[in-house]
Amino acid sequence: MNEPDDEAVFAYYPDVKIDQDNIAHYRGLMAGKLMFNRCGDCDCWIYPHRPLCPRCWSRDVSATEVSGKGKLYMYTFVNQSRDADAPPSEPMQVAAIELAEQAGLRYLSRVINCSREALRHDMAVRLIWIEDKGRRWPAFEPAI
Amino acid sequence: MKARHPIRDQVAIVGVGSTAYSRDSGKSVLGLGLEAAVAAVRDAGIHKQEIDGLCGAGMTPLAMGGAGFLSLQGALGIDRCTWIKNGWLGSALVYTVEAVFAGLCDTALIVQVNVRSLTMSRSASRDLFRARAAQYRDVGGDVGLGDFAKRWHHSGEPYAAMMRRYMHDYGVGRDAFALMAVNNRSWASRNPDAVQRQPLTLDEYYASRMIWDPMAMADMDVPVDCGEALVITTAERARDLPQKPVLLHAMSLGGSRVGEFYENALGWTENAFWIAMEGLRARSELALTDVDLFYPYDGYTVDAVAIAEAAGFCGPGEAGDFFRASWDARDNIMRLNGRTLVTTNGGGLGMGRAGGANLYAEAVRQLRGAAGERQAPDARSALVGIGSFFHDPSAVVLRSD
Repeated sequence: MNEPDDEAVFAYYPDVKIDQDNIAHYRGLMAGKLMFNRCGDCDCWIYPHRPLCPRCWSRDVSATEVSGKGKLYMYTFVNQSRDADAPPSEPMQVAAIELAEQAGLRYLSRVINCSREALRHDMAVRLIWIEDKGRRWPAFEPAI
Repeated sequence: MKARHPIRDQVAIVGVGSTAYSRDSGKSVLGLGLEAAVAAVRDAGIHKQEIDGLCGAGMTPLAMGGAGFLSLQGALGIDRCTWIKNGWLGSALVYTVEAVFAGLCDTALIVQVNVRSLTMSRSASRDLFRARAAQYRDVGGDVGLGDFAKRWHHSGEPYAAMMRRYMHDYGVGRDAFALMAVNNRSWASRNPDAVQRQPLTLDEYYASRMIWDPMAMADMDVPVDCGEALVITTAERARDLPQKPVLLHAMSLGGSRVGEFYENALGWTENAFWIAMEGLRARSELALTDVDLFYPYDGYTVDAVAIAEAAGFCGPGEAGDFFRASWDARDNIMRLNGRTLVTTNGGGLGMGRAGGANLYAEAVRQLRGAAGERQAPDARSALVGIGSFFHDPSAVVLRSD
């Protein structure tokens, strides 16, 4: 299967600020892959999406798929929507997942298939894909 | 270790001006800024053409519209400025003082405006003026839009998550946050300019509506329409002006690599507030125990608690116990180390959300001895910390002779 071209990525994410530094990440999401830039010289994982390695200043960075393993670093429950006319039907969980690849490499997502009471800081989680308004997005579930 | 610090006591705040604080001012952002600016310049007793430096309100240095310097200078009819910039939260003062000290300008005006934006309340969201203004505002990219992975930038959610992480790491409850909220609301009840003048009890804090669990309404500042302004000049020039000078004894900013990607937050004690306070300690000749007044930014109570710990009033995770030990049950306020008063105007939680600008203004009035019924006796020094937990907060010591 051919990878979606730039135009297709832009069309698929009309509500995301696609740029030269993050388009590979979103191309990956369309293909069901969670990818972050990684330095070709020192192997450092780089997030947010940047074209330069913050550790060694190499510009040889390329989007690389992560294992999907991680742990729950911090989380909250959002009881209020930005849109005052569309409050959430139940508190929405927002969670920073620390990915197994590198200490401090964190990605904002949500933990599903887990009751609110069962959430724990540092609990092991793994990548899963969910459908939201017709598009596929990453989420995480407990890794038992 | 002491840092090289030629700026010590060389720059002064000589004018202060504030608008009324209200839930709906019916005024534009620029209109509020102009009102505060005129009040500050008059308070300073100077002619407007003496102003040659201008720091407007804005998160980007050159943003147009609103109360940015591009709009302010023309609207105020100031002919010549040799230094101009926009700033926000605590850093606006630091930028301006460094410009005066460096000689890029001699007399500078800082104008900060905060208004209830569309996303802050239901009634604000229905205000056509606010909606139209928002369409043309620089939204800073795609923050909060489209991709869930970008939804929490510049909102309280990461602060709430950090608050939860703090409670987990140190095995504490919400007491520190609760006591900070009660303290500020007690002071607001004594401030005739405050929007929220009802004191808060601990029971009311714990019953407060949950917004971003564990952060509740009572942990958040009160969105209002307001403007604040200060006039800054050299200590030498200040001696010839009518108001008692308030000197910039020492200041520091704090920057970490986290930037606006808050999920990359460093540990509780490695974040921007700690960096700013360490920078301050290396420059200030005043010890913490010499500080009469303490103004920790309270956009969220978690900010204020973090600033108190970063300043060194107590160790990490100890704020709850420390605040309780510092509690004055008669006045329902804190007296840190038995003496230091905290946020004597009610801050953002009580007086209203001014991005911390009202903390600078209150410190100036207290150090002048002009704070009315809430005046602290013999107040000579104030420690102010203002800004985001995650990026560019200020740490400032102000003093008067």
